[in-house]
Amino acid sequence: MASILQKLITPLFSGPPEPPRNKVTVVGVGQVGMACAISILLRELTDELALVDVMEDKLKGEMMDLQHGSLFLKTPKIVADKDYSVTANSRIVVVTAGVRQQEGESRLNLVQRNVNIFKHIIPQIVRYSPDCIIIVVSNPVDVLTYVTWKLSGLPQHRVIGSGTNLDSARFRFLMADKLGIHPSSFNGWILGEHGDTSVPVWSGTNVAGVNLQTLNPDIGTDNDDENWKETHQMVVNSAYEVIRLKGYTNWAIGLSVADLTESLMKNMNRIHPVSTMVQGMYGISDEVYLSLPCVLNSGGVASVVNMTLTEDEVAQLQASANTLWDIQKDLRDV
Amino acid sequence: MSTKEKLIGHVMKEEPVGSRCKVTVVGVGMVGMASAISVLLKDLCDELALVDVMEDKLKGEAMDLQHGSLFLKTHKIVADKDYSVTANSKVVVVTAGARQQEGESRLNLVQRNVNIFKFIIPNIVKYSPNCILLVVSNPVDILTYVAWKLSGFPRHRVIGSGTNLDSARFRHIMGEKLHLHPSSCHGWIIGEHGDSSVPVWSGVNVAGVSLQGLNPQMGAEGDSENWKAVHKMVVDGAYEVIKLKGYTSWAIGMSVADLVESIMKNLHKVHPVSTLVQGMHGVKDEVFLSIPCVLGNSGLTDVIHMTLKPDEEKQLVNSAETLWGVQKELTL
Repeated sequence: MASILQKLITPLFSGPPEPPRNKVTVVGVGQVGMACAISILLRELTDELALVDVMEDKLKGEMMDLQHGSLFLKTPKIVADKDYSVTANSRIVVVTAGVRQQEGESRLNLVQRNVNIFKHIIPQIVRYSPDCIIIVVSNPVDVLTYVTWKLSGLPQHRVIGSGTNLDSARFRFLMADKLGIHPSSFNGWILGEHGDTSVPVWSGTNVAGVNLQTLNPDIGTDNDDENWKETHQMVVNSAYEVIRLKGYTNWAIGLSVADLTESLMKNMNRIHPVSTMVQGMYGISDEVYLSLPCVLNSGGVASVVNMTLTEDEVAQLQASANTLWDIQKDLRDV
Repeated sequence: MSTKEKLIGHVMKEEPVGSRCKVTVVGVGMVGMASAISVLLKDLCDELALVDVMEDKLKGEAMDLQHGSLFLKTHKIVADKDYSVTANSKVVVVTAGARQQEGESRLNLVQRNVNIFKFIIPNIVKYSPNCILLVVSNPVDILTYVAWKLSGFPRHRVIGSGTNLDSARFRHIMGEKLHLHPSSCHGWIIGEHGDSSVPVWSGVNVAGVSLQGLNPQMGAEGDSENWKAVHKMVVDGAYEVIKLKGYTSWAIGMSVADLVESIMKNLHKVHPVSTLVQGMHGVKDEVFLSIPCVLGNSGLTDVIHMTLKPDEEKQLVNSAETLWGVQKELTL
C-alpha cells in the first residue's frame, strides 16, 4: 500500500543528494561551541551544521535541541557525531575544543593540555575537509592557531585564530559607551596577543574620521587625565571578570565567531583583527601567530593591512611575539 | 574640554525618547539566556533588560551580551535584581523558576513556581503596567493562569508559550519523514504543553493536501506508518534532551523569539499558545490551554475555532480537568 509520502509527492529528480555548499563544523559543544553554533544558525550563514565532541550524550542532546528549533531556522541539516566523517566537505571548521580558563587562570596556562587535544582533532578535520578554512577559538588562541597550522599542513592563509576580533569588539563597546554612540560607529583596533599583552592602537582610534589622539595627544598614556588607558585595561580584564561572575564567557565570543564566518562565507573582503602568521612583519622574526588587520574572503586571509603603528606600538607587538615564541618553542610533538 | 566634548556637540534640546520596543527576560538560566540571544539575533528590541535573583550570574550574563554589542542592533542591554530596570517593557518573558529534573513531569514543579511568581508578577506589573506577559516557566499552562490571576491583566495580555514548541518539534519530525522543510509541513499540537498534548491529525497537511485524507489510519493504532509515534516523540522530546544534556534551551529560546516577533511586529500570525479556553471545546473550568491564536502588538486578540473530532475535544476536556484539579489546590 502506497505510503503518504508516495501519494503526496512525485519526485522529478532522483539522484544522489547535492553536497552542501556552505557547511560549517563546530568542534566542541561546550558553552563557546554552542554559542558559536546558535549565532551562526540565527545569522543564516550555513546550509549544513555539523557538531563534533567526545561527550556523546551531551553532543546528541545539543544536536536534538537545535533540530527541534529547525522550523525557526534556514539551516535544513544539523548533524552530530563523535566520528569526524560527519564533518566532511565543510567550508569552515570552528575549533572550540579543549580546556578553558578557571577563575584567575591565564590563557597561557592551558597550552600543553590543549596541544595534546589538538593532536587528535586537527588531522581528522583535514582528512575530511582538506579544502576548509579553520577558525581556531580555543585558548591560548594565538599559540593554538600556530599549533593548528603545523598539525594541519594547510597553507597559512587558511588557518585563522579568532584572536583580537573579540577584544576589539569589547574595546569598541566600552569606548562607544563612554561617547554615547553605537560600537560600529567607533573605530578602534586591538592587535597582538588575544590576552594580557594585547596592543590598543590609540593612534588609529577615530569617530567619523576624527582622530581621537589628535583631540587628546595623551590618550592611552599614563599622563592622560581622562584615563582612557583604563578602557583597554577593562578589555584585558573582561574575560576574567565575566568568568568570575558567571563561570565562563560565551555570547560575545559566539557572536564574534559568527561575524568572522560571515566574511569568509560571503566572500566579503572585510577587515578583521584576527590571528595570522606575522613572521617578517614589524620586525618579528619568529614563526608566531598574532592578530593584525586581515582582509577575509572565501579563500581565507587574503591580505594583511599595513597599519602605521607608533614605535611604542611596534615594540609592544614584538614583546607579544616574544612571549608567545617563548611558550611555543617548548611545546612537545608539534 | 574633554575628548568627548571636543568630538561631539549635543544639539537636541528635549529629553531623549525612551525605548520603544523594550523586552525584559526574567530569569537568566539556560532558557532565559537562549531566549535573550534569539531575540537579540533577530533584532526584535531596542532595549533588553534581564532580571534574576542571582546577582553575579546576572551581571556576568549582561556583560557577556554587552561585549557582543558591536555585532547586534540592540543598543541598550541592562540588568538588575531590582525590577525598576524593567520599566516600560512591551513584552516580558518569564522563564524564572525550578525546571524539570530527569524523569520529572512538568506538573510536579507547580507549587514551587507559584511561590516564585507571587514575587515576580506584581513587580513586573508595577513597572510595566501595559506590557504583554509571555510565560515560559513550567508547567506553563498552570503558570499562565497564575500569572493572569496575580497580574490582574486582561486575558489578551497574558500568553503562555504553550504548544508553540511542541508543534515546532512535530513539524520538524514530519519534515524529516517527508524530506521537506518544517515550514512547509503543517500540523498543530494543542492542549496541554506536556504529556497530554493533542495532535490534531485532521489538520495535518502539505500544500493544503490533508495527510489524513491520504491515510485515514493516521494517528490511530492500526496505522502501518505509525504516525502516532511522531506525537510520542514530541511528548518525549524534552525528556530525551534533558536526559542527554541536562536541560533544553535552544528550541524553546527560538520558539520564544518567534512569538516575540509576531507581537513586536504586529504580524497577526497564528500560533498555538496557551490562553483562557473556558467555554470553548466543552471546557468548563477557568483553565489555560493551547489553541491557535492570533498574535499582534495588542497581544492575543483572537482565537481560531478548530473543528475537532469528538475524541480530540474529549482529550482537551480531560487536560482541562487535570489542570483544574491542580489549580484549585493552589494558594494564590
